[in-house]
Amino acid sequence: MIKITNLEKIYRTEEVETIALNKLTIDVKEGEFVAIMGPSGCGKSTLLNILGLLDDPDGGSFIFNGVEVAHFNERKRADMRKHNIGFVFQSFNLIDELTVFENVELPLIYTGVKPADRKKRVEEVLDKMQIMHRRNHYPQQLSGGQQQRVAVARAVVNNPKLILADEPTGNLDSSNGNEVMELLTDLNEQGTTIVMVTHSEHDARFSHRIIRMLDGTTVTENILI
Amino acid sequence: MFKNFFKVAFRNLLKRKGFTIINISGLAIGMASAILILLWVQNEVSRDRFHEKGDRIYRAYNKSIFDNKLQCWSTTPKILAPTIQKDYPEVEEVTRVHWGANLLFSLGDKRLNVRGTMVDSGFLHMFSLPLVKGNPDKALSNTYSIIVTEKLAKKLFSDEDPMNKVVKIDNRDNFTVTAVMKDLPNNTMFDFEYLLPWSYMKARDWDDDNWDNNSTMTFVMLKQNASITAFNNKIKNITYDHLKGREKIEVFMYPLEDQYLYNRFENGKPAGGRITTIRVFTTIAMLILLIACINFMNLSTARSEKRAKEVGIRKVVGAMKSSLITQFLGESVLIALIAAVIAIVLVQLALPSYNLLVKKNLRLEFGNPYFWLAGLGFVLFTGLIAGSYPAFFLSSFRPVAVLKGTFRKVSALITPRKVLVVAQFTFAIALIICTIIIQHQINYAQQRETGYDRTNLAYVFLCGDMEKNMQLIKNDLISQGIATNISKTSAPITESWSDSWGFEWPGKDPNDKTDFYRFCSDGNLVKTTGMKIIQGRDIDLINYPTDSTALVLNESAVKAMNLKNPIGTPIKDNGIDWHVVGVVQDFILQNPYEPMRPMVVEGPKGWFNVVHIKFNEANGMQKNIAETEKIFKRYNPEYPFEYKFVNEEYAQKFADEETTATLARLFSALTIFISCLGLFGLATYMAENRIKEIGVRKVLGASVANITALLSRDFLRLVIVAIVIATPIAWWAMHNWLQHYTYRVPISWFTFIVAGVLAIVIALATVSYQAIKAAVANPVKSLRTE
Repeated sequence: MIKITNLEKIYRTEEVETIALNKLTIDVKEGEFVAIMGPSGCGKSTLLNILGLLDDPDGGSFIFNGVEVAHFNERKRADMRKHNIGFVFQSFNLIDELTVFENVELPLIYTGVKPADRKKRVEEVLDKMQIMHRRNHYPQQLSGGQQQRVAVARAVVNNPKLILADEPTGNLDSSNGNEVMELLTDLNEQGTTIVMVTHSEHDARFSHRIIRMLDGTTVTENILI
Repeated sequence: MFKNFFKVAFRNLLKRKGFTIINISGLAIGMASAILILLWVQNEVSRDRFHEKGDRIYRAYNKSIFDNKLQCWSTTPKILAPTIQKDYPEVEEVTRVHWGANLLFSLGDKRLNVRGTMVDSGFLHMFSLPLVKGNPDKALSNTYSIIVTEKLAKKLFSDEDPMNKVVKIDNRDNFTVTAVMKDLPNNTMFDFEYLLPWSYMKARDWDDDNWDNNSTMTFVMLKQNASITAFNNKIKNITYDHLKGREKIEVFMYPLEDQYLYNRFENGKPAGGRITTIRVFTTIAMLILLIACINFMNLSTARSEKRAKEVGIRKVVGAMKSSLITQFLGESVLIALIAAVIAIVLVQLALPSYNLLVKKNLRLEFGNPYFWLAGLGFVLFTGLIAGSYPAFFLSSFRPVAVLKGTFRKVSALITPRKVLVVAQFTFAIALIICTIIIQHQINYAQQRETGYDRTNLAYVFLCGDMEKNMQLIKNDLISQGIATNISKTSAPITESWSDSWGFEWPGKDPNDKTDFYRFCSDGNLVKTTGMKIIQGRDIDLINYPTDSTALVLNESAVKAMNLKNPIGTPIKDNGIDWHVVGVVQDFILQNPYEPMRPMVVEGPKGWFNVVHIKFNEANGMQKNIAETEKIFKRYNPEYPFEYKFVNEEYAQKFADEETTATLARLFSALTIFISCLGLFGLATYMAENRIKEIGVRKVLGASVANITALLSRDFLRLVIVAIVIATPIAWWAMHNWLQHYTYRVPISWFTFIVAGVLAIVIALATVSYQAIKAAVANPVKSLRTE
């Protein structure tokens, strides 16, 4: 599903040039659950942003579902993103002015789903995430665990092929963290490919494969199953 | 999608009430100000542009050289109109419109002094001033027929049908109502409540065939497809030819639709006029609206950090930049819509006072579909202007930066927000400077020596038996101690009704075409008005029987005639031989902004329309008026006693400038208020954003004064930059404006200092509230907030 070859990303300021990704090469197969680990500044998040088409690389190749996407323009990237990729962030990133229902509904609005279908789809997902009873609440009225479940619901509502999770349990206690990891595992078992950046060895053990990075490139790969 | 946008927009508005109030109220006040100005502008530009056949109607003007300049004027000989009608086949209709006059209407016990005029029957076919009753072809065919407006019909006949009713006019002639005209709209130059046929001018012997006497207005309507250029070429020598070449006067037709807006001529060519004022006020309206929009832009972008996360999330879940731009523009249009509703309420509340100020009857035309269309356009325009910068600014955020928290606001030396604040204050300061200078100019002219004493001086228009009984009236007023002096004159002392370049005196250069004001007095004018005699004496028929042809000159006239010893000089005018008996100091007759012009005061053989009364100041004015009314009623019982105080009439000369000054004051105050609203909002955000810095500084020992100064400094810098930019702009604008006045105030550098200090004080007062609030807050609390 994902084939990255010699990927490069360099951040430049007036005085400093920082190599975030250094000829990185990674493959992720469809249905895989991959955890990416490494110390802060090793390029994990940069990789995730490029995988999510939120950022573009400075060199190398990125083939997604058989299509070279490394140099897609803003419009094509947004189009590819909204149909294929879901995101889960450490800090949940829900819109405070929208209710749980409306937050989850948002991706469907941008993909042009009709209101009646949207309602049905959002309710199904909220039900699945066991957060239906909170559908009319605002994010600030929910616990951290509940907010992250809403974020996962929003990530999966469009049935994406790929979910990118950036330290999804980073702001949660262990109990809520486990619940979120189990949700991701369930989604993976249903066929969704997951790439997760984490600092937590515990969370990484939920994945099939752990890629460890240092200085913008992979240093080891551990296959867990 | 739009539902989602509006949901977020509404919730954002409700969530941040303070900023919503600042944003919407600023925009509403800006819009209300712009609407008020644009209502006035719309009324001005529509003046006499609503006549269906307006594109074919022209007013006759004359062009000739006098006072060494090629000058244009619009009073024409009475004979011009019938001559045009007779001799020029391309003319469809022609009408004369005489100057409006107040005539007494008597009906039973009713006595009304009503303003009206005399016209040719072509008037009714040319102008779109419709009759609600009567036939326009016949309404003015009889000498004693009259057309009344609906308003006058109501006053005279209440609810009865006015048609064929008879009313007595000027206490002598009976007129039959042949038509009722719809009341005049407020955007026409015409001002009458009745129309009499021109044939009545003949019946009263007021008409003449004199090509020398420019004394009425002439309007011409050409036939369809007739060429105005060709017609102007044909007609230009009409007066010259009829005068057999005695005077080189050229006649030309000027479009009716231009004669209000482009009423100034320089060297015989149109050179703007009213349109300049209209353009200035339209610019002010646009700038006020822009200032309100700038507030919106500044506050929206200042709040960008609060909206950044939303932008990031929307982009992550698939929003394009274009859909975000649509969303933010939609939000600003929504806010503009809410502001517009409030603005309309404000305008409705302000209109009665505003109408008094601008002396118009402006109103919002709710029943007119164009009003709603224009309103919608106005809202869209405001919303799109206000929302444009924030929309592009917010939608350009990179999701990676905002969602990872690496997004930071820009703090460059020059940011768009700073530029906008400077632009706002530049305009506000320029308006303050202009307001001060306009007021200085008015004060300067008001304090100018008039040349006579206006206190306790009133005048009454001669009517009925007044002239016949003048000596009796005079005797009663003086013997009862009500008045100290009385003089009959040709016109009020505040107006020039007559002028001429036809005076002849010994040694006059035959090519000299100096124009002199012509004024008449039956004597004692110096005593009555308090003018100062410089040489000789006043006209005094009682002690000098030959004074019926006596004449007094002013200083400027003596200079213009180049007379070494003016007393006794014979002067010829209108076939009468006058002789100079005195010279008075120059006094302001017409325009207090113009230099003194030469003037001739002719003696009792002249013509009289007015009586001036100098009241005895020992009595109260109320008593003087009451007693005078009794005396006038005794000797002129048919007419109501109506008088005017010279002081009040003189003050009217400043009315236009006073209105301009009041509007400038009003709109500069509003501009400053709107700018300060924005500044207050920005200061609030600044205080919020720098809360941690303030806490740390306080912990390290900074005083409240240090912190307040720190937070105010940035804004102060912007205001100082605005002062530097506004100063030359305002100087240039006012320098140009003052060129319209010959008698003008010099622009003082002190004005700029006052305006600058005022702006700084206002800006500091606005910002310091938030600065002090932030500075006195407990640092522990502010550090915990972070």
